[in-house]
Amino acid sequence: MNRIVLALALILLAATFSGCNKWAEDKSNIYAYKAPPPPGGAIPANTPLCGSIKGVMQTGNTYVLGCTINVPAGDTLFLEPGVTIDADSNSGILVHGSLISLGTQAQPNVFTVAGVTKNNAPNLPITQDPAHIGLWKGIMCDTSCPRLILKWTHIDFAGAAYGNVDGPSVEQSSGTSFNILFQNPNGIFVMEDSWVYGGTDDCMRISNGKIHVFRNTFEKCGGSGGDCVNSKGGTVGTVAYNFFIGTAYNGQKASNKGQPVGAPQTNIVMYNSTFVNGGTQIQAGTRAGGIDYEQGAEGAFFNNAFINCRVGYRVVNNPLADTAHLTYGNNYQWADSLVIADQFFTWGGVCTKPMPTDIPNPSLYLPANFYYPDPQQNAYDGTSVVQYDNPRFLNYPLPVQGQPLFAYTAIGNFDFHLTPGSSLIGKGNNNITPLTVVPIDPIYGATEVTLPGVDLGCYQINGTGNQH
Amino acid sequence: MRLPACASRIIILLLATFICSSAFSQIIRGRVFDTHTGEPLIGANVVLEPIHYTTTVQLDGSFTFRNIPPGKYRILVSTIGYLPSKVVEVETGPGHELAEASIAMQSTAITMEEVQISGLSAGSDHTARRLEQRSDVVQNILSARTIELSPDITVANAMQRVSGVTIARDNSGDGRYAIIRGMDQRYNNVLVNGVKIPSPDDVYRFVPMNLFPSEMLERLEVIKALTPNMEGDAIGGTMNLVMKNAPDHFLLTANGSAGYSTIFSDRPFTAFIHSGINKSSPAEIRGNNYEAQPSDFTTSNLTYYNRPHPVNSTYGVTVGDRFAGGKLGIILSGSYQSLFKGTISDRLVPDAQPQVTPGPNSLNPSDSYVRQFNTQTQRFGLQNKIDYIFNSRNKLSLFNMYVHQDSYETRYTPDSSTAGLNSTATATLISPEYRSTWQIQNIYNATLQGDHQLSDRVSVNWTGAYSIAKQELPDQATIKWNEFVVRDTKGNIDSISNTIPNGTSNVVTHRWEHNSDQDLAGYGNLTYKPTIFRHDVEFTTGGLYRYKTRTNYDNEYAMQANVPNPNVPYTNVWSVPLYFQTPGESQGINTAVNLDDYTAHEKVGAGYIQAKFMALKSLQVLGGVRVENTQFDYNSNMPVTSNERSGTIHYTDVLPSVHFKYSLTSNQAIRLSYFKSISRPGFHDLIPYIDNSNDEFPFQGNPNLKHTRADNLDLRYELFPKLADQILVGVFYKKLENPIEYYVANLYGPSSLYIEPENSNPVTNYGAEAVFTKFFGKFGINANYTYTHSRVTTPKHVIAETQTAGIQTTNVNQTRPLQGQADHIGNLSLLYKDQKLGLDVQLAFSYTGTRIAQVSPFYGLDIWAKPFSTLDLSLEKRVTHHIVFFGKINNLTDAPNKEYIKYPYKTVNAGLPGGYTVPFQDAGSKYTVAQKDYYRLSFLAGFRYKF
Repeated sequence: MNRIVLALALILLAATFSGCNKWAEDKSNIYAYKAPPPPGGAIPANTPLCGSIKGVMQTGNTYVLGCTINVPAGDTLFLEPGVTIDADSNSGILVHGSLISLGTQAQPNVFTVAGVTKNNAPNLPITQDPAHIGLWKGIMCDTSCPRLILKWTHIDFAGAAYGNVDGPSVEQSSGTSFNILFQNPNGIFVMEDSWVYGGTDDCMRISNGKIHVFRNTFEKCGGSGGDCVNSKGGTVGTVAYNFFIGTAYNGQKASNKGQPVGAPQTNIVMYNSTFVNGGTQIQAGTRAGGIDYEQGAEGAFFNNAFINCRVGYRVVNNPLADTAHLTYGNNYQWADSLVIADQFFTWGGVCTKPMPTDIPNPSLYLPANFYYPDPQQNAYDGTSVVQYDNPRFLNYPLPVQGQPLFAYTAIGNFDFHLTPGSSLIGKGNNNITPLTVVPIDPIYGATEVTLPGVDLGCYQINGTGNQH
Repeated sequence: MRLPACASRIIILLLATFICSSAFSQIIRGRVFDTHTGEPLIGANVVLEPIHYTTTVQLDGSFTFRNIPPGKYRILVSTIGYLPSKVVEVETGPGHELAEASIAMQSTAITMEEVQISGLSAGSDHTARRLEQRSDVVQNILSARTIELSPDITVANAMQRVSGVTIARDNSGDGRYAIIRGMDQRYNNVLVNGVKIPSPDDVYRFVPMNLFPSEMLERLEVIKALTPNMEGDAIGGTMNLVMKNAPDHFLLTANGSAGYSTIFSDRPFTAFIHSGINKSSPAEIRGNNYEAQPSDFTTSNLTYYNRPHPVNSTYGVTVGDRFAGGKLGIILSGSYQSLFKGTISDRLVPDAQPQVTPGPNSLNPSDSYVRQFNTQTQRFGLQNKIDYIFNSRNKLSLFNMYVHQDSYETRYTPDSSTAGLNSTATATLISPEYRSTWQIQNIYNATLQGDHQLSDRVSVNWTGAYSIAKQELPDQATIKWNEFVVRDTKGNIDSISNTIPNGTSNVVTHRWEHNSDQDLAGYGNLTYKPTIFRHDVEFTTGGLYRYKTRTNYDNEYAMQANVPNPNVPYTNVWSVPLYFQTPGESQGINTAVNLDDYTAHEKVGAGYIQAKFMALKSLQVLGGVRVENTQFDYNSNMPVTSNERSGTIHYTDVLPSVHFKYSLTSNQAIRLSYFKSISRPGFHDLIPYIDNSNDEFPFQGNPNLKHTRADNLDLRYELFPKLADQILVGVFYKKLENPIEYYVANLYGPSSLYIEPENSNPVTNYGAEAVFTKFFGKFGINANYTYTHSRVTTPKHVIAETQTAGIQTTNVNQTRPLQGQADHIGNLSLLYKDQKLGLDVQLAFSYTGTRIAQVSPFYGLDIWAKPFSTLDLSLEKRVTHHIVFFGKINNLTDAPNKEYIKYPYKTVNAGLPGGYTVPFQDAGSKYTVAQKDYYRLSFLAGFRYKF
């Protein structure tokens, strides 16, 4: 009897304690370190900057980065016109909040590295070119960044490995080194009238976001590899009137890979961009050197000009782009030599459909039985369209004289504006509708959505388009 | 020394048996057992005087003399470790043709605790059965003898023979961790002599059991229900490795063997050059600001050569004795294993995102390859136990253990042989890659224990333990190049060109990783046995405090090829001019300053109180409560602007338990247990770092993980019909709150999948277990079966083309079993044991049913493993009295491990461009094979010497 009492007491005790979830849970706590907040206000230019930052960088000042600066979530770093930021290989700009750089045509902002000179000598090996060393870390936006706005801003010599700057969402893998990273599907990324010079990997990795990339100039982007405006799953917007020269891989790329839950399908409208010597580092059959639509991406690309790009624009069939919702045409291609012309319609997992509005007209060189959904290597002979219909740039010899292909990777003293009689004039389709997903605002949005122009490429004979 | 006498005695016996075979009809039989444990003393010598007939005790504990002339006889039994038996007299003759005797033997060893059994017989499986029967809790035990006789040379592989246990294998097919009742390794703790040992592993908290050669063990206990005096961080179960105790007399055993894995008949063993590997990284030698040069890195470990037909070998020696009139016992045991293992692994890698055509979540393979692993493992173990018995009331013991393992793994991955992005039927770009890994792991443990009987009613025992476990990966190196294969339309290869990649790919990487885990722990227990209401009650109280310090260092350098264009031919590592594309990539401030470079502490304080008494004549109750407090902190060397650079986690758990054991008869009982337990996340799970060294996907830690709490119920019926036989039938139920599951998530960057631990919804896990062991004279059968059913519901992505919004990714809940949990697992062993011939044969079959190998972030695309079964054979034959020959053959049926996705491969093929198919498929199947691993047959044979 007594033993039963004891047993019951024990069971009662056990039952009491097993109901103690709450007691134990109340005692548990998890704390993960949070970086301290910055002071804000006008940012002094007399000491090197380091760590958390917010506030205003004022006109005319040069700011030196002593280490990576970090705009915390919810805060804004604002650059007035005429600000210079000098970074080094151990610094960059980490953006959890907003970054707004409002340069003007008269007073552009400059992100650079002090004491480095651009070397635009033709045919310079990338290992000897300061553009491809990665001298600072660039602009690194986390998934919480609601707004990245760059107007009339130079981004020079970026591309250093991010290393230890932040958590894994920024340093995506060991050696991540994009000039600009943007990755918020609900955030906006506006880049207008700006310049990027140099790089080591993807120049702009837009993992997702609402974008507006207009009238910019990209020189020497990518290193031994890397796409330039690389939009991934969940990116929507318009990319237009950009000028690219000497990119490692593509100038503009769209893919729906990595589309987050709740983010839209990648949908990029591209028009009126010029690509010169694109895809310097690619092997035919694997990538493109100008424009590429891949894996579930929809959109449109019209009125672009491709000059001596290693491989022509591609619509990829493995994994398949959203070909049902992708339109294209009025695209111009120029080849100095047969090795280029033979890749106007490339091979290796592509399904780029030749369009009668393309220049040169595909019927001039593609055989009647050309199987565009899966073309094989050497499916046609491009001899007849080598050096066909010269675009007559103001100052750029075509065909290039005395230098191998891809010798020029920067503009230097060249001028790619059109001269009367250019084959690019009047061949465009101006019925394309831009996909505007960012607010129109002189500070917090896009200044101007330039509508498609009738002249192919980024420079219009009437002076509109790219203003550089 | 005794060999000739013994042998001649056996010969005489055999002759006598033949000569006398049909002359008489009288039989004398009996059984021989240990007075203390009741276990049968197999192999004991039985002599029938005065006719001097001898025999030995059989597997079931019996002996028989047949065809005995009528008369009076004396039976004398002797066996090592026991006092000679008292003489038993029997008589046969007309009218009583059958005489029976029951002989109890007194062990010479001095024992103190109830279940502490010393002497040679301590490792027998009969002792194991007795311990299971007497135990207060639900447990299964593998004896040293069972392990010795099993086909397994490491403890981990032996674990798979235990009821309810499956093993998680490493790349070479070797078992490493146990999954108990469908609960992943994180939910099971590992003890050595009852003390928790830190792990040298960089990922898991508990010691990988393949580090322990099985011959170091006296027995392996798998305890599936926890009592308050046990550490509360086990939900599936606790594995306790009980190491050899000092013997009661001089003991010397030695063994040596050689073996071979037939995988190296098909291909050579690919080895890399070990010499020249620097144990420290350039940043460790010259500081974090130093800009490393390509010349700072050796090329020797990226230089490969073939070792045809490598031979495996194992050696072991154990010596022990007792001195000072039996007060001081010492045992020293050493072992060495050198094993060459290989795997061929066909893999089809799903792309980070499925396609939307022909339907939602259409499987889209991105890469395929036939990966080869070559692993040479050198394992050295040394242990020593010293006990000093002051008197019958006081005893001290000191245990020292050191285990060291070097493993050299060459992994060859020719990525994307056929399927692949940017590939077609006529052109494929392959990235062949070699990876060389030298892994050094070692553990040292010193445990000092004292037992003191303070009075008849009060006893105390205490333990102080120091342990340190380390792992080093000095210069884990990879090299890759491009192989461009062009085929004609018929699929014939037109050309192959090997070139140096000049893209953003890192052509050569070098990584240094090391971690250490140091434990200082003290345990104390006080037992008081008062008489309450005229009945004995045993109260126990006690606690533990453990201070753990963990450090981790990780530094990876990645270099690119300094070549002008993609067409520079590749021949070997020396043909690649390397450079760091950006200077920062060569400096420790960028490569070695990361979240994986941290120091963490874990302080666990625990206390408990429990009582044990007989509530009814045949109902034993054991119950009480344990409180565990955990304080964890980590601190990395990340800059102050970095979130999550440090963190702390505190929690306290109250863990009640109660265990009933109702004895139906002397040999059958019903047990009912309830206990609450927890599981702490591993350090690797908590530190928010991306670890790229995983073979499948990069791993990302999660500092916001909560520890898991579980309610566990167990009901078991057990019957021990004869000495070595048993029947166990049981059911269990577990409910887990905040279980930790590994998710494959598309976290950062569009193309990359990461594995991240997360707390999922509550999980229920229930099942049934049955164990059956029976011996029929020389034959034995040992079978167990476990059914497990667990369910967890988690959100999964669906990517689909919608009518209105284009392609959309949405979340849908999917219910599935826990990762690694097989519905059906079973083992069947057939044993043959002939004492006279000294022959033991065991055929062991192990079966693990279908289970999830890898959880996909996408609905319906989880990777499942097909049922996996292995058949192993082992045998032992006594050559002389002291020498035994043994042989083990593993994987007789050459069973591959096969993983698949429940999506028809024909649909995958239909979605691929022109005439292009996914490889390694099973013709006509409704699934897609994602992985196939082949281990091939291996064997080992040698001799064991026992003094």
